[in-house]
This record gives sequence, C-alpha cells and structure tokens, in this order.
Amino acid sequence: MSVETVVTEDDLAEMVEQVWASYLDPEGVSPLIPTADADQPTEVHSTVSITGTWHGHLVYASSMQAARKAAGAFLAMELDEVGQEDISDVLGELANIVGGNVKAMLPAGCFLSLPTVVLAPQTASYYPAAERISGLWGVWDGEPISISMWQSTKTGDNA
Amino acid sequence: MVIDDSRAMRMILKRIVAKLNFEAVEAGDGQEALDLLSTMTEVPELALIDWNMPNMNGLEFVTKVRAEPRLREMTLVMVTTESEQSQIVRALAAGAHEYVIKPFTEGAMIEKLALLGLVPTGANS
Repeated sequence: MSVETVVTEDDLAEMVEQVWASYLDPEGVSPLIPTADADQPTEVHSTVSITGTWHGHLVYASSMQAARKAAGAFLAMELDEVGQEDISDVLGELANIVGGNVKAMLPAGCFLSLPTVVLAPQTASYYPAAERISGLWGVWDGEPISISMWQSTKTGDNA
Repeated sequence: MVIDDSRAMRMILKRIVAKLNFEAVEAGDGQEALDLLSTMTEVPELALIDWNMPNMNGLEFVTKVRAEPRLREMTLVMVTTESEQSQIVRALAAGAHEYVIKPFTEGAMIEKLALLGLVPTGANS
C-alpha cells in the first residue's frame, strides 16, 4: 500500500500547524511558511521510525538556529541559554508528536520508535532502502524547516 | 506527577499544572515513577503519563498503579501521540481516567483536567 494515499502533504501541514499552535507559536505571530523547496539546507534532524504494517521514517529537519528557537519556545528559555541537550530533547519530541499522528493515519498495526536526533545535516543520515514519498518544506522566521516521510522499499526493513 | 521521557514535554506539563497550583514531581519513565511513588508518603492526586517511554511504558504503569491499593485514588491521564481509537480504549480499559492527544494546547489540557474536577473555578479564564 502506498502511504501517499493515506498521509498527504495537506495532512502533514495540518499536523505541523497544530504543533506550531500548541508549542512553537501559540500567539499565532510566527507561522511556518511553506516554500516547497525540497532541497533547502538543514543542519539538524530528528527521526522516528514506524514499523509493523508499514515501514518507514518521519524526519524533522531544520537549521541549527530554527532548532535553537524551537527549543527556546518549547522550554520557555532565552535562546542564549539553550544547549545541545535542550535541542536534542525538543527535536526528538517534535518528531515524536508528528510521527505519532502520522502513525494514526496508517494501516492498523504500526509501531513508533523512540526518536533519534542527530545534530548534523540530514545528508549525514542515510536511510538505506527507503525513499522520500512526501514532505513539507518551509521557513520559520527565515530559517529552513522540513518534515518528510520516507518509506522503506524492502518489506521487513526495520532500519 | 508528570511522567514523560521527554524533558521538554515534562516542562510544558509542569508549567500547566503549576498554573493550577499543583506542585509537580517528575519521572522519565514508568519504572522511575513507580520507584518514586514507593518513596512518597503522600500519593499524588494526578499523574500525566506518556505512552511510549523506555524501560516501562505508560500503559504498563497504569496497569501497575491500578493493581496497587495504596495508589487507587490517583487520577491517571494519558498524554500521548497514540491517537488510534483502539489505543484509547486500551488505556481506558487499563484504568486511565482521561486521554489527551499530543499536540495539545494549554487550554485544552486545562479543560480536560476541569472535566476531572481538578481545576479550580475560573482557572482557565
């Protein structure tokens, strides 16, 4: 089954909007603005894997500055107080939240992994036997952010 | 009591319950929460519990709390990304009182707690 028929880019956008409204921009003054630029550079990324009846990954990626700002908003901290541990924790939770909501739209019988956060460009992580099938790209206060879905091309791939 | 492996989410939840004049203790997983509860003379009134956590997940925690007479009065609220109907039913069947799906706004969380009678009148105004 192709997940593209189950989780659309509009669905991702709706989830992201809820995340922004709940945690990153509760005042509604600084939304994520879509750019449709799939090649925009990112410096950090966070992944949750989905296994079971569907295999793949949900990846949240951004610039370091956007990650720092997200951590500051989430943790109610000034940006200069935000450390790497704060960034890792918040990015992991963001991937977990979006991934969990994605999982709910997939066929029953899927499981969500705990998040993995890498403070390095998305290209530093390679998802073997997986292809990007959907995504949302945008800027938040001028900083790049992307949320993408990767589907394993091999049945039983738990990577 | 706030139980979540994400420190970020624990902070969000602690901020919310602090507004309701709860003093929160926190744990990073179900086992840590049980260990903490075993040392406490006064049982917390409320536990906000993530589902997916290492060591002991939220569903196991709820099941163990419900089997412990000393903890029977605790109000248990699952706060999780697990949003399938079947998972909600599992959690409620195991003994959770309420279920909040992430992401949630502060107002939505307070409304849920109000339904459980845990919010003073006017706290969300």
